[in-house]
Order: sequence, then structure tokens, then C-alpha cells
Amino acid sequence: MDQETRIAWLVDHSQRPRFKGSLPDADARVPGGNPGCGDIITMYVKAKPGEDRIEAVRFEGVGCTLSQAAASILAERMNKEHPTFAEVLEFSYEEMVDILGRGIATSRPQCATLALGTLKGAVKMVETNRRLRAAGHTDEEIVRVRERSGRARSGS
Amino acid sequence: MAASVAPVADIADRGYAHPEVLVSTQWVADHLKDPNVRLVESDEDVLLYETGHIPGAVKIDWVADLNDPLTRDYIDAGRFQRLLRSKGISENTTVVLYGDKNNWWATYAFWVFKLFDVKNVRLLDGGRLRWAEEGRELVTAVPRYPEGNITISGRDDRSSRAFRDQVLEHVNHGKRLVDVRSPEEYRGERLHMPEYPNEGALRGGHVPGARSIPWGRAVNPETHTFRPASELRTIYEAENGLHRTDDVIVYCRIGERSSHTWFALTYLLGFEEVRNYDGSWTEWGNLVRAPVEKP
Repeated sequence: MDQETRIAWLVDHSQRPRFKGSLPDADARVPGGNPGCGDIITMYVKAKPGEDRIEAVRFEGVGCTLSQAAASILAERMNKEHPTFAEVLEFSYEEMVDILGRGIATSRPQCATLALGTLKGAVKMVETNRRLRAAGHTDEEIVRVRERSGRARSGS
Repeated sequence: MAASVAPVADIADRGYAHPEVLVSTQWVADHLKDPNVRLVESDEDVLLYETGHIPGAVKIDWVADLNDPLTRDYIDAGRFQRLLRSKGISENTTVVLYGDKNNWWATYAFWVFKLFDVKNVRLLDGGRLRWAEEGRELVTAVPRYPEGNITISGRDDRSSRAFRDQVLEHVNHGKRLVDVRSPEEYRGERLHMPEYPNEGALRGGHVPGARSIPWGRAVNPETHTFRPASELRTIYEAENGLHRTDDVIVYCRIGERSSHTWFALTYLLGFEEVRNYDGSWTEWGNLVRAPVEKP
């Protein structure tokens, strides 16, 4: 893809985002953002029942053209390929930069990888929640554990 | 032009020390065909120019074009000269910068242009947003200009740029420092939001003695243009005790928001000695044993 075509592709994804919106029955909803420039992404992930695999991904967000295009492109890929959790966690930031176009994305790596980082966070949340449920914890207990760990992180 | 926007007083009537560095949207509209004027868009959003820009404008990106790709510094004079010439900028060209985010990045570019002593550079008051809200034309066609002939002889970091040792000297001598970040960042309450990535600082707070004057106060939020000098004097001088003869260092997170305040103090209020600390909090907040203050 030449530079001009790539830019048109990114702008199109930004202006007509795919899979944008909430996912009411998501297994995880994780916010992410770049406070410095105001990019915000919330990723919704629904896992296939009984499998460590993505069933559906949607996102909400505001921000720069690149961050929103990246979220749309990533969501489209996830909904097409339904990768395993391991594949998502192994999906490198470098690979994301390559998909978006190194000439553009390397100048704004945080914008380019915000969606991927947030998606990985959501997948980890699904994995952890499943482990906690398998260990006998209720959903209410899991929420309380997450609140406590969130306080611990921000205070560290 | 059709849209109805909040009116704004003429630049010449706002009492600025150097009103010649600002141009209005109407001035730009009147000079769209002027071969001696080169419009330059500089944005936070790396693809915003591609979605539409003022007719005839070229793009300069603060990362890809102005930053050295290896060292945390700006490009050297040779590369800057090549960059400007590639944009068709000559000795007699009037460069007009504008951009998104209330001209954050345009003032940052303006500051870099001044490090290289480019004489004839101006800023579009109100930036891209004002132009768009006035319903003025944006186009996607990328212009091509013949190679320019501007000569850049060197970069002088002494008068407008501050480094960490100079900031420490400022602290030790009780000189004027201005932190233009958000009050939450100044108070050290926010390095990053919960669940959000840390943008590179290990400590929160501010440089001891710095006054908190968020950059956005210099802008009228309704018009996106700079406030008149009388209002700026109230903010910087009456409320915060700055004086135009003070030796002032401004900083933010990486030097972009503070370039906006550097511009306002230097050109709109005529402060004589203002330097921008572009290392800013991403350097200071990681510096071993750098003094940090938290209220």
C-alpha cells in the first residue's frame, strides 16, 4: 500500500469507524487513554463461552485520527479472525505499527498502540475473572478485588 | 464563509506588545493566493492535515520533521534549512503557522522557528478551529511548491530555551517559574489516570516555586483567539505577580503547552526574558534528586 492509499485508509476508518459502540453483554469493559493528547478508548470484549478466544470486540472513543482509526482497524481484525487470548497478548506493538504504516505510526506510537494496549488489558481482565470464578469467587467479590487492586496501583 | 461565530476584536486593538506576529483568519483568507505567504499546519493529530487543511497550506510535523530522530533534541540547522526549502520557503516568505489544540503545536513550531532565528514567522490567531468554525474552506489537495532559498545559519538555544541545570539555578535563586499544566498535574495528583498509561514521569508535583497558570487561560474559549493584553496582564501580572522584566522559565510535560505560554508572554505582553524548558516534567519528574514540591 503506498503512502497516499494508506492515509486514505486510515482517514476512512477514523471517519467511518467499524465496530464502534458498546457491547452490553461484554465480559470485559476496559478504558484506556493518553491524557497528554486527549485520546480515549474503551474496549469491550466478549469471549467465546468455554474457550480462550475472542468472540466479539467493540470500542468507544474520542481522539485523534490515528488513535480512532487504529481502534477501528483492530476491532475489525478481531471480529474477523477471532484470535485466541494468547494470540492477542502476543500481538506486538511493533506489528500494530506495521499494520498502520510505519511512516505515520512511528511518529505517534502512543496514539497508534492505545487501542491494542487497551484490548490486551481487556483480555487479561477476562482471563483473570475466569480464574477467579473457577476459584469460587462471585462476581461481586471480583469487583471488590478489582477496586482494591486499583487503589493499590494508583497509590504505589 | 457562512457560519456564525463569536466576534473578536481586531488584533491591532488588543494592546499587544508585538501584534505583528498574529494574523487573523480574514488576513489569511485575503492572502491565500499570495506567493510570498506560506501557510504551515502543525498538529497534535498526525493525520488531521490529511483530512483537510487551509488551501495552499503545507504540513510540518513536530515529531517527524522537527525532532531529531535519535537524540531528544531538535534537528540541526542543515536539516531545518532543507525542511523549509522543501516547503517552498524563501528569504522573503512570510510563514504563517496554525494548528489544532488552540495552536499548541503551532506555537511549538513557532518557538522552534525562533530558535533558528527565522524572522518572518506569524501565527494564525484562533488556529485551525477558528478557521473551521467560521465555515472557511478546507481542502485535501496537497500543494507542491518550487524549492525555496531560505538560509538557516544556526540554532541559538540560549535566549528562548532552558535546560534542567538552568531550571535548578532558577529554583535555587528563587526566580520565576511557570507550570502551565493542569492543576491536577501541578498538584501531583495525576501522573496518569487510573488504568491509563503512565506517560513517562516517576514523580508527581511541580518544580519548587513554580506558579500554576494553565496555558489555556491565555485563550478565550468562545473565540479560540488570544485574550486581549489587558486580560493577559490580569492573569500573569496581577494574579501571579510576574513582571515583564522578570527572568521567566515556563514548562509543561514536554514543552508544547508551555511554548504557547512562552508565545503569549514574549509577544503579546512583551516580556523580555522568557525561556521554554522543553525537557519539562518528562525530564524533571524522572531526574534523580531533582527537588519536587507538592502542596
